[in-house]
Formats: sequence, C-alpha cells, structure tokens
Amino acid sequence: MLDVKGLRKEYGELVAVRDIYFQLHPGDVFGFIGPNGAGKTTTIKMLATLLEPTAGTATLNGIDIVRHPEEVRPLLGYMPDFFGLYEGITVTEYLEFFAAAYRIPRSQRAAIIENVLELTDLTVKKDAYVETLSRGMQQRLCLAKSLVHDPILLLLDEPASGLDPRARIEIKELIRELGAMGKIVLVSSHILPELADFCNKIGIIEKGELLVWGAVDQIIQQLQANRVLAIKPLGAPEPLIQRLEREAHVHGVETRDGTLYVHFAGGLEEQADLLSALIHDGYRIAAFREESLDLEDVFMQITKGEVS
Amino acid sequence: MKRRPENPLLRYQLFGFTLNRWKRQPWLYGAVAIGGGLTYLLVLLLVAFSNASFPVALQLCLFAMCLAAPLMAYHLFSTEYEKQTWEPLALTRLTAWEILWGKWAAALARVALLTLLALPILFINEDLHIDLVSPFRGRFITIFEPTHALYVFVAGVSLLFCWGVLLVSLGMWLSFLLKRTLTTASALYAGQVFALALMPTLYLIFSEGETGSQLIATIRSYREGFAWWGYSLFTAQAILALNPFWAANELNAIYQAWETTSWNRTDPLYPEGLIYLNWGFAQSAIYLALALLFAGLTYRRLKHAWRK
Repeated sequence: MLDVKGLRKEYGELVAVRDIYFQLHPGDVFGFIGPNGAGKTTTIKMLATLLEPTAGTATLNGIDIVRHPEEVRPLLGYMPDFFGLYEGITVTEYLEFFAAAYRIPRSQRAAIIENVLELTDLTVKKDAYVETLSRGMQQRLCLAKSLVHDPILLLLDEPASGLDPRARIEIKELIRELGAMGKIVLVSSHILPELADFCNKIGIIEKGELLVWGAVDQIIQQLQANRVLAIKPLGAPEPLIQRLEREAHVHGVETRDGTLYVHFAGGLEEQADLLSALIHDGYRIAAFREESLDLEDVFMQITKGEVS
Repeated sequence: MKRRPENPLLRYQLFGFTLNRWKRQPWLYGAVAIGGGLTYLLVLLLVAFSNASFPVALQLCLFAMCLAAPLMAYHLFSTEYEKQTWEPLALTRLTAWEILWGKWAAALARVALLTLLALPILFINEDLHIDLVSPFRGRFITIFEPTHALYVFVAGVSLLFCWGVLLVSLGMWLSFLLKRTLTTASALYAGQVFALALMPTLYLIFSEGETGSQLIATIRSYREGFAWWGYSLFTAQAILALNPFWAANELNAIYQAWETTSWNRTDPLYPEGLIYLNWGFAQSAIYLALALLFAGLTYRRLKHAWRK
C-alpha cells in the first residue's frame, strides 16, 4: 500500500506541492491530473525518492521513502516524462543492464527479460538497437525496464506524451494490464480522456494542492449535487423555461441547440416528480435525461486554471 | 569468499557500444582503426629516426595525453543528464561507489591503454640506446643501459600515467558539476592551456626567468627535498615543478648527469637535488592525490545529490 502523508515541497518562497495526502492499494490505477506546472512531476519525483520533500513523507508497504530511500527503490518502477536510453546496445542488452543493476541473479535474467518483452510486446524487437526504435517502442522499452525487477509501485509521468494514436492505445492497454496484475500504478497526465478509460482512482492537483482524490465514480457523485438535466421540448421552449424557473429545485436554465439544460438541486425523487408535473401540465417532452459528468467536467468544475 | 556484485555500468562503459559498433559498421570502424594504427606507426618511426631524446619522446606522449584524456572523461556524467538517463540509473540498486567506479575505472583503463601505447615510443629514442637489431645477432637486449635510465624511464611513464589519471578524474568531477558535455570539454582544454602554458609563462615573467634551480641545487637530503615541495607552494615554484612538460624536461638533467662522469650543468649539484626531490615520482604522487580528491568530491556529490 502507498500512503502519502502530508507531502510538501518548497523552493524558497514557492510552494510546489502543498501537503498532499492519499492512499493507494494494490491494483489501483491512479490518474494524477493537473495542468502543466501544477506539481505532478514534483510529487512523482518525491515518491520516486529522487527529490527530498520539505515536509511530510510517504510509505510504501510500511517503508518510509524519506528515511529509507534505498529500501524503497527496489520496490518501485519509474518512467519519467522525458527519458533517454543508452544507445549502441540492443533491446535485450539494455534490459540485461538494468536487470544486473537491480541485482537480479544471472540465472533468472533471461526468463524475466523474455516475460517483460512479451508483456510490452517488444519480443520481435529484442535484437534491434535501442536508438532504431520508434518513439512508442522506446516508451514501451522504458516501461519494460521499469518492470524487470517486478516493482509493486509504478510511477508513470506522462507515459503517453508524444505518442501516435495507436501507440497511445497500446500503452493504455498495458497500464490497464499492470493494474490487473495487482500493481499500484500512478499515472500523471494533463490529457483527461487518456486517463478516463483505465483509472479507477483520480487525484486532481492544481497550484500544488490536491483538490480532490478518490474513486472516479465517487468524485462524480459528489459533484453531481448540482446536476444538469437535459430536456428537449417539442415546440417553442419559452413557456417551458418560464414553467421550469418557477420550480424550487431549479437554479437556472440554459438553452443550446433547442435543448434546455436545467441546473437541478433535487434528488432522483424530485427529478421524477418534475417530469410527471411537466407532462401533467401538457408540455410535450421529446427527451428528458440527466447529463452525466465525465472526467473533463469534473476537472473543469474543480480547477481554476492556476499554476503554482 | 563473498563474491563482489557485478558492475554492469563498468561493462557498458568499457565495452557497451564499442563491440556493437564493430558489429554494425565493421568497415567504417575498421578503416578508423587502420588509420589510427598507421598514424601511431608513423609517430613511432618519427621518434626512432629523428634521434629524439627521452624527454622529447615523453613530451610528445604527454601532449597526446593532454589531448586524449579529456575525451575519456568529459562526458562521463554530463551525457547521463543530457540524455536523461540519470534518474533511472540512480534508482537502481547500484551504490554511489559502484556508479563512480563504473565510470572512473573505464576512463582509467583507457588512460592505462594510452600509456601502454606510449611505451614503445618511450623505448625507441636515442637516450635509452635500444638496439632493435641486436636480438637478430644473437645478443640480449640491454634496455636500461646505463642503469640510471631505469629511474628516468619509470619516472617518465609514471608522470604520463598519473597526469592522465588526474585529467580523467578532474573531467569526471567537472562533468558531474557542470552537467554539460561541451562546457566540461571546454573547461578541461582551457584549464590545461591556463595551467600548462599561461601560468608558467606568467611565473617566468615575474621571476625574471629564474626557474629555482639554484635552490634545488642546495638540497642535500630527502628531508630537505620534502620540505622544498611544501615551500614551493608558497613561492609559486610549484607552478613549474608540477607542470608535467617541465618535469619531463628536467628528467633529462638527471639522465645526462648520470650518463657522463662530468655534470653537464653549470651547477653539478642540481641533478642530485632533483633526485632528493624524487623528481618525477613526487609529481606523480601529487597528481594521484589530486585525482583521488576529485574522485572523492564526485563521490560526495553523488551520494548526497541522490541519497545513495
């Protein structure tokens, strides 16, 4: 389990990360969302033991990352946003290098490398030189390198940046698979649709502050307190707008493309009552549905577009 | 006996892409090797047939070392930063010492190789009287004839090797400190021009051409010699004494003094003074001490910066 307790990073006057708390369990795929400069990379680097926090700490399976970085390192895999690879060696040699650097016994290396290559779909490229690989393949090789020592926590900083659509889909599939394998995966991105597909938990960070974190469904439910109902009337909408504005739970009505978007503060009961009342009053309703929030809506509702 | 853990970094630095380069472009690298070999042979013949003295041959080798040693070290850490390979390496289980040794030892091995390549050039010169034809006439080679040539030869080789060690150690430290390959290379070459040419010139201008030989001629014991080295730091004579080209030049005085029964200097006690100063060996020891200092500084920064 990863338990982040009040992680904070200051650079002089600037507070890059402000007292962050969250917990992740095996199998969690955590989407770390925030605009550029929000503090995502700083947080990831602190968790990766590459940056010492100003205050706070985190524990991975009970081991403190600040006090015992050398014990935590074998348990984590890290893929930076900008990464390089040793050139002039083959994919297999590259992975052998890291397997040796992680002290994996010689006798086990070949099998582990074969498995990792298979998982990242690089088996056909095992004898290719690292610098000849495409960007997407290099990304997968970097991930493969992060997996050779079988870490329990994977920190992936913008893993899909600069990839073509196919490579993006492939890396998403891979991350999903890693979560299914029981690893804790922390993925940062500022591209929301990228994360929406495979994260079961998210955290939104802005100006160094973790504004919200938790299961995607729960966060959406929390924000749905002020829900939006989409009503498509047949005929002129004005009488319906006037009728809706008299309703106690309605806080506002917007019209777009002939559909009324009603900001509704009531629950499901009140929602059903409203529909019945409108039909009873003789309004002809072609469509009546609740607009569900997606990750982008959540992000827009929570953040103010500021950077630290 | 406990087996030392393998150091993949040393293996990569020593052979890594070198072997693969041969495999990938055998003609290109073969041509470069043949070209290099022929140039080396040319230099060898030049020294053999130009009646060059030992100091001249040594200075030629020192010049080559001054040019080549920075190339072995200027990139050691800076490329890790520039190519963004540093963080993944820092997260492995390799200790700070193993990372340092992996890079340092590879550079030292190259300096040793360069010194080995210099040996034939140092052998074949007028002073050492090597008769290459003798073996074919059924005679033994008497390399160190007269015997005092051994002192001059060993001191010269030690000067060459230790100067190379100092350069690669300084290069390694600067490479870590400056984090830029081009800046490190420029600093190394410019630093050499400053230390080996400008500083001695300034010293000679201010001392009105006095090299300090009169004082050296008064030294009559190793104890006085040891004291002189300390004293030279305050009189700035160390600027000349620690210059490997100057040191190589003065080795000639020792050789000439022993070769002829009459001292060929105006002050016959000067070569004896040089012996009491452990001329050649003392400089080598100082170079090594400085090299260790730079390696130690690199280790310290490495350990603290990455909490290794």
